[in-house]
Amino acid sequence: MDYQTALGFAAPLAVGIAAIGSGLGIGRAVGSAMEAMGRQPEAAGKIQTAMIIGAAFIEALTIYVFIVFVMASGKIH
Amino acid sequence: MIENLGLDFISRTIRTTAVVLFIVFIYGLYYFDFYINLAILSGGIWSIVNMLLLSTLIRSALTPGEVDKMKVAGLALVKFPLLYVSGYFLLTSEIFDPLYLLIGFSILMAVVILKVIARALFGLDKKKLNTEPLQEAR
Repeated sequence: MDYQTALGFAAPLAVGIAAIGSGLGIGRAVGSAMEAMGRQPEAAGKIQTAMIIGAAFIEALTIYVFIVFVMASGKIH
Repeated sequence: MIENLGLDFISRTIRTTAVVLFIVFIYGLYYFDFYINLAILSGGIWSIVNMLLLSTLIRSALTPGEVDKMKVAGLALVKFPLLYVSGYFLLTSEIFDPLYLLIGFSILMAVVILKVIARALFGLDKKKLNTEPLQEAR
């Protein structure tokens, strides 16, 4: 397997793995936040803020992978 | 753990990021190529819009009270397709270098991390919490 073929296989696979990982991460974060808000509705603001920041970081990781994918796919001929 | 992580933390972060982006843009006009600067600015604006829409979506979708389903659906329809399509066009356009878009996009994350580290290091939340009972007693 040459470099081009390996890159052609690996780049979309990496995006897929990152999407699965961030999907699981966001799902877990939202689930825990809902549980925490159910237990303590008066702390909903703090929980939401922490969750928004966490979700933004998880989403940013996926976007980083997407950017790397675009950069790598430019090298596939 | 940061104790005083109120909802205004995100708006303050977005404001700080906008100021940092403006300063970087002004300095960059002198030190870098115009298109590098524009790529950093576009990446920064992309992350700011992403954060704004994400926080609005979460605030309207996850509340202890009544949820406006139409608003949530509208926000989700705007956020995901519009933002990712615009990101795709930014990345695939020949004008912008993806690396500088990435740098611009990371500025907001850097601001969040630095703000949290600064609050933890200088004990800003502890000071606020310690003064609350005193003020109530007075």
